[in-house]
Amino acid sequence: MKTGIFLGLILLLVPLQATVLGRVSPFGIRPDLCLIAACLTGLLTGQVHGLLLGFGLGFTQDLFSASDLWLNTITKSGVGFFAGLIAKNLANAASHSAFLLMTIFSLLSGVVFLVSSRVGMELWDVLQGFPSILLPQALFDGLVAVAAHWVITRWTPESVSLYERG
Amino acid sequence: MIGRVRPLVLWSTRTKRLLVILMIVAMLLLFLFPRQTQFLLQHLGRPVADVVSIPLEMMAGVDRGVRNWWNKYIAVQGIYDQNQHLQSRIQELEGELNQLREQALASQRLSALLEFQEESALPTLAARVIGRSASNWYRGVILNKGEDHGVAVEMGVVTPAGIVGNIVKVASSTSIALLITDPNVAVTGLVQRTRDEGIIQGTAQGLVRMKYIPPLAAVKEGDAVVTSGLTGGFPRGILIGQVLQVGEREGDLFQTARVAPVVDFGKLEEVLILISPQRAKDTESIENVLTSPEEKPKDS
Repeated sequence: MKTGIFLGLILLLVPLQATVLGRVSPFGIRPDLCLIAACLTGLLTGQVHGLLLGFGLGFTQDLFSASDLWLNTITKSGVGFFAGLIAKNLANAASHSAFLLMTIFSLLSGVVFLVSSRVGMELWDVLQGFPSILLPQALFDGLVAVAAHWVITRWTPESVSLYERG
Repeated sequence: MIGRVRPLVLWSTRTKRLLVILMIVAMLLLFLFPRQTQFLLQHLGRPVADVVSIPLEMMAGVDRGVRNWWNKYIAVQGIYDQNQHLQSRIQELEGELNQLREQALASQRLSALLEFQEESALPTLAARVIGRSASNWYRGVILNKGEDHGVAVEMGVVTPAGIVGNIVKVASSTSIALLITDPNVAVTGLVQRTRDEGIIQGTAQGLVRMKYIPPLAAVKEGDAVVTSGLTGGFPRGILIGQVLQVGEREGDLFQTARVAPVVDFGKLEEVLILISPQRAKDTESIENVLTSPEEKPKDS
């Protein structure tokens, strides 16, 4: 069942990210649904699930991305894993924690992408990535994560939870 | 909270440990040997890409349907004015077309004469844009044609209007093209009027600029920029865009110009892939070398 949910998420989120999401992208910036899913999975269900789903989503996203260093695989797995580790030490994983964690993780993974995708370019080009992509995306990811967190925690009855703490 | 409730389904601790170890080993390999593992993972990922391309194509179809419906029935404001404007524009263009036909005929004769026929007669393959690169960090599009259709890495992608970009990744039935507005793409360009060469590169803001224009070149606003045919999988003469502004600072060794691409990348739906026989042959020969019996270990 859980494997099915993970596969379903991969088959749903990556195509969604590549197609429909392009229509709802203010200023040309799309939220990274795969990053949000990996972070929330780690936050709500533990580091192992975060790592596994992050790996699956990142790997598939890399196949449909122009990046060539498998950065999505590494960053999404890392985000899922560390979100789970941090959640272990949180007394209450409330929405504001989800926002803060998501924004920080999005910024960190964004810096990795920024540095790797602008290798050998002028400093100005690298710095331009901050206001044009990195910051808006981090904010966007944080907001979508809060909404998704609210929906998941409110609409998922406790008795039918599909996850366990990893 | 979800985390405090009893789970319905469990993976055994052993399976979980094994999966985690596999993930960590895979990530370490990716991190330490990115180039080497890339080739392997690209091949391992092809079946995954094939499976994911099914819902991707379905969603692209729904997306296209909704967009067409929206454009036909909802977003019709200003259509009358636009229609009037286009009618008059058609008349202007018909006049220009006649002139260009004459020029094209002359050009054909000249290019045959100069044995440049090969350059302008590259076979093309029509492909549909089914998605955008699944990351904000690279400006790319997903095309519905892949290795099975003869597509290979580094082939050029164009529309009838002009240049689009380069193929950077290929799966069996899909491929990814990096747009010229991405800073990682560089194509040699030529200012059509002055014949000065430069490097066309994308910017972080999604625009295009032409770098390394000779300092004495008299490039001006409105000049057309075309491919020079030297790099990037494109023959000479494909339109890239028009010069918007020329930046000339004292002490600079070269001039840089901002270029407005002719292709509207936001509305890209169908493209043509320039099937370069040489590149396809190169790819085949590399694969043959990699799979040839001589390359295999002798004890296997």
